[in-house]
Order: sequence, then structure tokens, then C-alpha cells
Amino acid sequence: MTSLGLAWRSTKRYRVRAVLAVIGVAIIGALLFDMLLLSRGLLDSFADLLSSSGFDIRIVGSEGVPIVRFPIDGSTRLAADLRALPEVRDVVLIRVERATAQVNGRTPRDVTLVGTTQTGGGPWTIVKGTNLPSASSSSDRCLMLIARRLAAALGVVPGSVVDLSVRPAGIASALPAIACRAVGVVNFAFAATDEDSVATTMIALQDALGLQAADADLVLVASRPAVGSAAAVRAIERLRPDLRVYSNEDVIAQFNQNGFAYFRQISLVLSALTMTFAFLLVATLLTVSVNQRLGEIAALRALGIRRARIASMLLWESALLVGGGGLLALPLGGLLALALDHILRQMPGLPERLHFFVFNWRAVTTHLVVFGMTAAAAAAYPVWLTARLPIAETLRREVVG
Amino acid sequence: MPVVEARRVTRLFPMAAGPIAALRDVSLRVDAGEYVAISGPSGCGKSTLLHLVGCVDQPTSGEILFEDRDVAVLSEAERSRIRLMRIGFVFQRFFLLPMLTARENIELPQAEAGAAAADRRARTRELLEYVGLADRADHLPSQLSGGEMQRVAIARALANRPALLVADEPTGELDEQTGEQVADVFDRVHADGTAILVVTHNPALAARASRRVTMKSGSLVS
Repeated sequence: MTSLGLAWRSTKRYRVRAVLAVIGVAIIGALLFDMLLLSRGLLDSFADLLSSSGFDIRIVGSEGVPIVRFPIDGSTRLAADLRALPEVRDVVLIRVERATAQVNGRTPRDVTLVGTTQTGGGPWTIVKGTNLPSASSSSDRCLMLIARRLAAALGVVPGSVVDLSVRPAGIASALPAIACRAVGVVNFAFAATDEDSVATTMIALQDALGLQAADADLVLVASRPAVGSAAAVRAIERLRPDLRVYSNEDVIAQFNQNGFAYFRQISLVLSALTMTFAFLLVATLLTVSVNQRLGEIAALRALGIRRARIASMLLWESALLVGGGGLLALPLGGLLALALDHILRQMPGLPERLHFFVFNWRAVTTHLVVFGMTAAAAAAYPVWLTARLPIAETLRREVVG
Repeated sequence: MPVVEARRVTRLFPMAAGPIAALRDVSLRVDAGEYVAISGPSGCGKSTLLHLVGCVDQPTSGEILFEDRDVAVLSEAERSRIRLMRIGFVFQRFFLLPMLTARENIELPQAEAGAAAADRRARTRELLEYVGLADRADHLPSQLSGGEMQRVAIARALANRPALLVADEPTGELDEQTGEQVADVFDRVHADGTAILVVTHNPALAARASRRVTMKSGSLVS
């Protein structure tokens, strides 16, 4: 019989203890797995969110940062210059303003108004109606997309007219409202769950702002796949050294260093703690088990069974308990992650599509490697105990005992 | 031709109050095919001598020669190999692995010795018949009586055809009648040419040996 076979029989012999150990390790393992998912999940989700827009480069004015932005002077001309670059495939201008939306004289609601040159699609998904048409295909001066929650609150359906009044930040203004016709009800990818947003064309936004030409505060650029974002960023920086140009990777790296570092540190500490518990649980069980079997083990040694064989049996016993619990921990951790993710996503201000726990194979691999190491570490003391077991003394003690 | 020989062995056990001599200057020789019984009061050093002869312990002074090899100069791996291939151990408390059947317990030392599966099966069947337990092959130790467990333990000890069978109070946990059955098995083992060294309080078992040795206070007295 192999060492694994002996370990399996031994585990079966102490069935209740083995089941309890596996359950304990599974619960601890589920927490570890969730910590591993959490350590990268938000970052992966954020990266996924950024790439979902279809643009891999963001340009902002030198005074701003990607979150707090100021308009870029001459952005229309900038867009034309960018399109002329061989590294660039597509360019979209964006401007975000605060506004109020009102329907049929009802109480106005504060909204985030997004002006974009992107038509026929964007960082949103259509729930009802259609996308913004291209400027040339519509006679309406202001068409808009409205967030589902806001549409429900205002009773807006595709075809409804909404009065939008822009309220530029930090400026006392009394800009007149413009009437916009809703063409679609959407879910905005970047909007927070509690945020009311509408999107319209840059031309409509200019009208709302009462300007001849409104400058964008964000320019999205898609690089040509054959070139890549890094080369496109360099080309844009050469063209306009006065602007700040970030690839999606740059943005993610910045968030990784700043905003997400806390999650990583917390998950590291909690992972270390959970694995310490798993180690202590299995090491204690194996040590107790070995102490109960000292007579058996001494007898086996007296019969000529090698230390290596007995050590191997204990390692397998540890691997069975930790491995069983570790594997069970994966689905358990997955379910727990879904529940925790649901709770965390209730936090205000988070984009609806952002997740804290995101499945990735790296987490699974790390989970399995860490569990393998824990199994080996947990077996180390019992193995050492048996390796230095004095055979004669133990046999004598067993008989006297 | 000696299978094992203890030459003037002394075994001291360190204690807080000072070392205690479990054996003092003891010499004993067991020849091939010989059946030796050691008797004496509890704590006289019988088991200590058995452990030295069985290569599971080392004397503080003196020599143990197993088949003319000085055990003291052998590595633990070499001593382990001698125990596996040349010595069979029978314990008072049987020490069968409780999760293995009788057959599997007997196969274990053979597997450790590298015997082929078919040879193991044949040898195990032969041994189970030898100890009269062919019909109990697939029973766990918990399903066997004390006498049956000890007979399985004897079969396990004989699995690799040892030159010496050492037994420490093999009837100590058994009633008189069951002890007789175990003693009968020892007689057969002896008749088949295997040397036996048995430590026992049981006069009936000791009486069956070809040579009886008595110990007192760590020394041989007769």
C-alpha cells in the first residue's frame, strides 16, 4: 500500500475529525480566496471598465487630473490634429457639466450632463430606444440619452422632451434651459449607482452652455492596434507637450499605487492571518493524531518501516485535509465573494459596473500554492516528531501506560 | 552459528536523580533456530535486552552483533533494513494498523521490502493459513479477537522470512487458552527453523522454549 493509500485509510479512520478539519480549512480557505480576489478584483474591474469604452488613451489639460478636469483650449482643433496622427485610429471629445433636468414643470433634478462627439455607441448600454445618431442624420438640435434610474424618476421614455439647464461649477449663471428629446434609456458604465446622468452631443452641450464652441475637458483616443498605446502616447506628447496624456495602463498603475494599495495591504494581512489559522488547525490535528498513534508508529519503525515512508504518510494526511478543504474553499469563496461584492457595491459614488471581487486564475493558482505550502508546513512538526521518535522508549512507555 | 549476540552490554537511562542501569554487563547469544525465553520480575531489564537484540536501541557499553555485524557501526537506515528483513517483532499490544485489514497488515512489511504484488499476495495467503486465519483475511483488527490479532501480528512478523523472531510479552494481553494458541504458533515457527527470543511472564510459554534465561535487577541470573 502506498503512503497516499495509508494516509487515506488513516483519514477515513478518524472520519468525524477529518470532516471537521476539512470544513474548518474550507471556511478559512474561502476567506483566503476572497482576499486574493479582493486584492486584484477592484483593479481588474477598473481596467475592464476603462477598456470597455473602446479607447486606450485619455488626454486632459495640464492643470487637471483624470478625475478633476478643466476644459482644453482648442479641443476641436486638437481632435483634428490627433486624427491626422498615424498612430491614432479614433478620437472622441468629452465634456462633463452639472445640470438640472426638468420634465413638464416637475421638480428639477440635479444631473451629470455628458457632452460627447461619440455617436452610435459609447460607454453605456441601451436599455430602451436607440443610440445618439450622428449629427448629419438628425434634424433635432438636442438629442439625449438618459440613465434608467433618472428616466424612471422623471417618467421619461424615448421621445419625451426634457429641459436641461447647465450650471457650470464655480460660476453664478442663469443659462436658459434647452429642450432635449430623449432617444434612449441607458445604463452608463462610468456612472455611480446613485448618480443621475444624461448624455448628449457636444453641439447640444454648446447650446446649453450658450457658447459657439465648447472645449472638451477630456479627449479619448483609440490607438491603432498595430501600433499600441505606448507609441500613440509618445506621438501625442510630441504633438502637444502641454497636455497630460495617459494610457489606460498609466491610469491603472496610478490607481494601483494610490487608491488600491489599501485593499492590497488589507488583503495581504487578512490572507496571512487566515493561513496562520489553517496552519494551526491542521498542525494541531495532525500533532494530536500522531501523539495518539505513537505506539503504532514506533511499532512500524521496529518492523523496519522507514522514517521517510511514515513522514510521507503524514504529509499525505496533511495534504488530504488541507487539499480537501482548499478545493472546497473555491466554490464556497466564490459564493461568499458574490455576497460581499453585492454589499460593497451598495457604497455611494461607485460606477455600477465596478466590482470588488473579480474571478481570475492567478488568484486560484496563488490559493492552491499557498495551501500546498500550508499543508507542508502543518505536517512539518508531526513529521519531525516521528522522525526523532525513540522506538524502544516509546514501546516501553506504551506498555507501561 | 549465532543470529544475534549481546556481549557485555550495559544500558543506562539518564534520570534527573542520576542514571539508572537497566542492564549491567549482560551477555546473551541466540543461535540460528534456537528458542530462548527470558523471564524475570517486572523492571528487571528483559524488554531492554530484547530491544537491544532487536536493533531498536543501542547499548551504553558493550556490543550487539547481528549475524556477525556490529550493530553500533550501522546507520539507522541499515538497522532499519535489518529489522525489516532479518528480524520479526511481536508486541504485547499487537500494534496492528487499525485501518488495514489482516491481509493488508501482513502485506505492509513485504511492500516496504519491495516484494512484487503477486508474491505478496501468495506469501500473505500462506501466512494466514499458517496462523489459522485464512477466513479472516479481510477483517479489520477491530473485528478480530485478541488471540486472532496476535496471530496476525505473528504472521506480519514472519512476512519477510526473518532469521529471528523477537516477542515482548506476546501473551500478556491474552487469557490462558488464547495464550496457548499463540504459544502453539511459536512452536511451529521454531519447528520451521526460525530463531525465537521471547520475553514473558507466562511460565507455560517459557516452558516451551529450548533455553530459559532468568533476569534480575538488570543481570542474567541463570
